[in-house]
Amino acid sequence: MVAQNIAFGVLAAATSLAAIRVVTTRNVVHAALYLVVVLASVGALYILLTAEFVAAVQILVYVGAIVVLLLFGVMLTKATLGEDDQLDNDQRWLGAVIALFLLGTLSFVLVDAFGDDKLPSLEGVSRATLEAQRGSGAVGDAIFSTFLVPFEVVSVLLLAALVGAIVLARRD
Amino acid sequence: MDVLSGPVAGVFRAPDVDYHAFAPELVLVAVLVAVLVVDLVLEGRGRRLVGGLAGIGLLAAMVPVLTLAVDGANRSMVGGAYVVDDFALVFKGLFLIAGYVTMLLSSDYLADDDYYEGEYYFLLLSSVLGMMVMASSRDLISIFVALELLSIPAYMLAGWRKRDLKGNEATLKYYLLGVFATGVMLYGMSLIFGITGETVLTEIGSKLQGPGASLPLVSLGIVFVIVGFAFKISAVPFHSWAPDTYEGAPTPITAFLSVASKAGGFVALMQLVFIGFLGRDDVWQPMFWVLAALTMTVGNLIALRQTNIVRMLAYSSVAQAGYMLLPFAVAGDLAKGPGAAMGPMTTYLLIYAAMNLGAFALVLAVARKTRSGEIASYGGLFEYAPGLTVLMSIFVFALAGIPPLGGWYGKLVVFKTLLDANTPWAIVLGVIAAVNSVIALYYYASVAREMWMRPVPDGDTTPVRVPAGLTAALSLCAVATVVIGVYPQVVARFGDLAVFSLLP
Amino acid sequence: MSVDYSWYLFLGAALFTIGAYGLLIRRNPLVMFMCIELMLNAVNLTFVTFSRMLNDIGGQVVVFFVLVVAAAEVVVGLGILVSILRRRPSATVDDISALKG
Repeated sequence: MVAQNIAFGVLAAATSLAAIRVVTTRNVVHAALYLVVVLASVGALYILLTAEFVAAVQILVYVGAIVVLLLFGVMLTKATLGEDDQLDNDQRWLGAVIALFLLGTLSFVLVDAFGDDKLPSLEGVSRATLEAQRGSGAVGDAIFSTFLVPFEVVSVLLLAALVGAIVLARRD
Repeated sequence: MDVLSGPVAGVFRAPDVDYHAFAPELVLVAVLVAVLVVDLVLEGRGRRLVGGLAGIGLLAAMVPVLTLAVDGANRSMVGGAYVVDDFALVFKGLFLIAGYVTMLLSSDYLADDDYYEGEYYFLLLSSVLGMMVMASSRDLISIFVALELLSIPAYMLAGWRKRDLKGNEATLKYYLLGVFATGVMLYGMSLIFGITGETVLTEIGSKLQGPGASLPLVSLGIVFVIVGFAFKISAVPFHSWAPDTYEGAPTPITAFLSVASKAGGFVALMQLVFIGFLGRDDVWQPMFWVLAALTMTVGNLIALRQTNIVRMLAYSSVAQAGYMLLPFAVAGDLAKGPGAAMGPMTTYLLIYAAMNLGAFALVLAVARKTRSGEIASYGGLFEYAPGLTVLMSIFVFALAGIPPLGGWYGKLVVFKTLLDANTPWAIVLGVIAAVNSVIALYYYASVAREMWMRPVPDGDTTPVRVPAGLTAALSLCAVATVVIGVYPQVVARFGDLAVFSLLP
Repeated sequence: MSVDYSWYLFLGAALFTIGAYGLLIRRNPLVMFMCIELMLNAVNLTFVTFSRMLNDIGGQVVVFFVLVVAAAEVVVGLGILVSILRRRPSATVDDISALKG
């Protein structure tokens, strides 16, 4: 349990610091690399939450595909490499005020609802039970039974995104 | 972990699939794949064929909608997450017809300016498919996925005029705001899931009647979800993408966004509010009150100042969304229960679809000659295109709500809902709406004045050539607008049908 | 002592806020896409936390769908961006002022 708390503390700190760097750094490539830190830490948090399938997909899709796509975007759009003062607009203080207000509201309602609840303990739960309830197999079963319709819809969505993006991005 | 050799995760039970209930969607999927393949094989030589195939496909998908309607049974699948009832069927019919009219508007527009055609039809069909799924989705995840399927092709279609810088930037704005709204909506959904532990709306509905439903967390979740959809229906203050996108997108897509995409947002809102969040009308009712009042007023006041017809119609459609939000704002106070607010909203949406599609079809027809979107270019339209002038007058006066054209009946049922609620807040809202209807009359009438009374700006009075597809779309919308105005029972019947059978 | 799950929820709220803040102040569309990814990750973290707390697999399945949709969104966003940059080489989003609040 102590090990879990320490791991959570380290990962949470890494996540939030890297996330803040994503929105404050003046360098587009650095922002993408900080995003990798955020995504990987969130993936590790999923393992702490016993969601191994989601953790694996997080690394494969987010870190492996989406960030690479964004870096390709940096290349294709010839964005300025290195320092760029043009990255922010003039609303930094207004934005900060709104963000703090939002964070305050969210923290208030979350603490109000769940303040002193604990995560259900997993002591005494056998590995087999855990896997049956929360493993990749259980996720697969849920996707192909309860969530069959969204699954099929998402496949059409990916096809549409693929075709449309090629038309928009190609030279003609 | 090796799924195949690992411990068996419970026994997998394949869900029962009712193929009749899924038939409209399945036909549409088959057609959109066919469109893609035919376009690929013909390499752009069979443009007419691809367009025709897509149009026939939309009409073919109408057949199972009708057989399901005749059958009449409510079909609920995968634990209530996907429901085919009269509500869903009415809107599926609307989406298919709106998609077909968009198709009619598009064919000559695309050919004239040499845009990509096969992919355009493919994306349009995908977006219609998303709307069809939305009409039946009764759980948070299906609603989210359907929303994305209807929006993502729409983002790309809005940017189809790749050579137009203004259009490109409008698309980027539409995309960024849309994706941001999705994020906000999803966060709201996650909070609601956390409190109720459910994703199916009926379950959420019963959980939110019970203890724990009054937590501020629930209120915040509901607010976030509604804000997410307020972008989709372009309610003020979340409307800023609409005028720019409407102006920058190809005009047929503008018509599609202002009617079908907006209706998709309303369908989702009705499902969420009247099934899922029914017990928390203390949260959504004031919120919709403010949204409706702002949307009507701001939309109309800015529409007054527009000199471009597309921007004027954009702000007018923002204002129209305000009228459609009115029943939400009083739903909790109705004597017959909140469900009584659904009929008027559906009725208004159906009528609005006919008249707004018609107005945009006419803008397309006139722009073929004048190549301009300025209201001033409509000067003296009566001298060289009397038919089009009469049609445009029908559409703008219908939008203004003048009897005996379609729009008046929509306004009537909406105002009647406000009177039924009979609370001070409802009356105040009714007064705001009435004042707005008068303001709106001014800018609608100014278009008519331009057409009937002003001289032709450049003296060019060669007649406007209207291609067959456009003529068909115009006649369809005009007939619908006039018939609904004279025999409102037709549309009122659909409004009565489109009420959930699941209301507690 | 066990980990309070409100810590996870709070981390999710912080990520969401940081993403929203970035979207408000950034002008480069690519960085704005990254901010949207931050927001979606906050959503996912919240869903997985609730999934663990309620012992409901649904929360994990949502993450799968959000991931897929996020990938599609980024592809489309880049497509739009590239089509703009073919016309005009500099890319900031000055005209997007609607996100102010």
